[in-house]
Amino acid sequence: MSGLTLATISHSFSARRVLDTVSLVIRPGELVALVGPSGCGKSTLAAIAGGILKPDQGRILRQYQRHGMVFQQSRLLPWASARDNIAYPLTLGKLSRAQITERTHAAAQAVALLPDDLDKLPAQLSGGMRARVAIARALVVEPEFLIFDEPFAALDPALRRRMQDLVLSLAKARGFGGLFITHDLHEAARLSHRIAVMDRQGKGILGSLTPPGTPGARSEAQIFDFTQEARNHPLLHDLLNVDERAVTLDCACDTLGFQRCC
Amino acid sequence: MALRFGPPALGIALFLAAWQAAHWHYGAFILPSPLQTLRALWATLSSASGWAALGATFGRVRLALGLSGLVGGVLGLVAGYLWLIRATLAPVATILLDMPATAWVILTMIWFGPSHRSILFTIAIVIGPILYIGRVDAALTRDRRLENMAASFGASRWARFRTIALRQILSSLGPVFGIALALGFKVAIMAELVTNVAGLGAQMARARAHMDIDLALANVALAVAGLVIIEHLVIRPFQTRLGQWKRGAA
Repeated sequence: MSGLTLATISHSFSARRVLDTVSLVIRPGELVALVGPSGCGKSTLAAIAGGILKPDQGRILRQYQRHGMVFQQSRLLPWASARDNIAYPLTLGKLSRAQITERTHAAAQAVALLPDDLDKLPAQLSGGMRARVAIARALVVEPEFLIFDEPFAALDPALRRRMQDLVLSLAKARGFGGLFITHDLHEAARLSHRIAVMDRQGKGILGSLTPPGTPGARSEAQIFDFTQEARNHPLLHDLLNVDERAVTLDCACDTLGFQRCC
Repeated sequence: MALRFGPPALGIALFLAAWQAAHWHYGAFILPSPLQTLRALWATLSSASGWAALGATFGRVRLALGLSGLVGGVLGLVAGYLWLIRATLAPVATILLDMPATAWVILTMIWFGPSHRSILFTIAIVIGPILYIGRVDAALTRDRRLENMAASFGASRWARFRTIALRQILSSLGPVFGIALALGFKVAIMAELVTNVAGLGAQMARARAHMDIDLALANVALAVAGLVIIEHLVIRPFQTRLGQWKRGAA
């Protein structure tokens, strides 16, 4: 069992409501991509799912023991080597040094990090290597559920694709469920069982789209056809058309948009 | 190697050349030559009283730095986390920072008399606010996203502070400690000079009374050399150990 239920989640920052009664159910073993325009509250929802933030209202039901989280820009400890970064979550528990070493090496191996890379500081690693270290850090806790918060947004397309392949192979091998936050419809279609679309003002999940087949088994042609077709779907209008410069903090009103808020 | 040590060596050579030129222009009574100063320095270091003065000044600075580091540091850490404490202490820190060191020397002389205690208090009260503000700033500018990362893996508040926040805060303190040390030294010498309590400052007061410019400059050179040695033996290794990652560790 590795499902997650977020029920009627609301959250505010300094009296500004970022999430308003958002509900999302992720079934055991399901990898759900959450898409939505910038500033709609996707990362806030990920932080709530990951236990970083406590929501003002709502309930979280976790049908798993452990989760891992992979962040935007990796969030590696800059003073620690890749090895120590991967081991960090384990040092918070009561594992012996030998167990920590063993699991750290297993996680590093799973993401194809070389032993030479493990002694380097994050500043000495390339963007792709840093992403691998961040994924290994999430894997080291042997998670049943993984939360990805736009982890590959800063990578170039080729590298991003390699990282997506890595996630797909790991998800297939380990069978974990997860929540994958992204802006990229193609990435969402490649990685997920289902794409949930968030309202641009954080007022719930507007609906879901399901790409054909299962992640990892889809052909490039299937993904391309799906994304081309989805571009005309009204659910994705805001994702593809909202100009974030036109969105004010109080009321992201675009009268041409899918949601007419004013 | 030549590129690393060449420019600093050139800087020192230029300084010594300018000093020598000034000595030729003004004469030995106004400004002794570098060589005369070196001889006076050697004479000071050859005497027990010279070492005693040096030890007294260094000991006071070390003690005051420890005391104010403890009080200012702990207060700064608490203020960095708690807005109410920060807002309450902000005007106090500003007032203490704006107080001239000479005013403290006079006040402490009246309060404690010309004593070891008055010098210690003066140094601590002058450098304490600097250490406090340095710690507050270090706590406020830490990367909180790293603590969020730790929270996602179930790290308790204490674990987040111990393993992430403290590391970042300490790595920001090296330069602040360097400034506090240098300022502490200056204040110590000034306070010793005014109170005439044993130390490098008292030696300078004696040199002034005897119009012994060689000895005065020798004491200045001794203080500067002592500071440079402490900076290279204590402050720089501390900075290197805790702050290497900030320089990219290339």
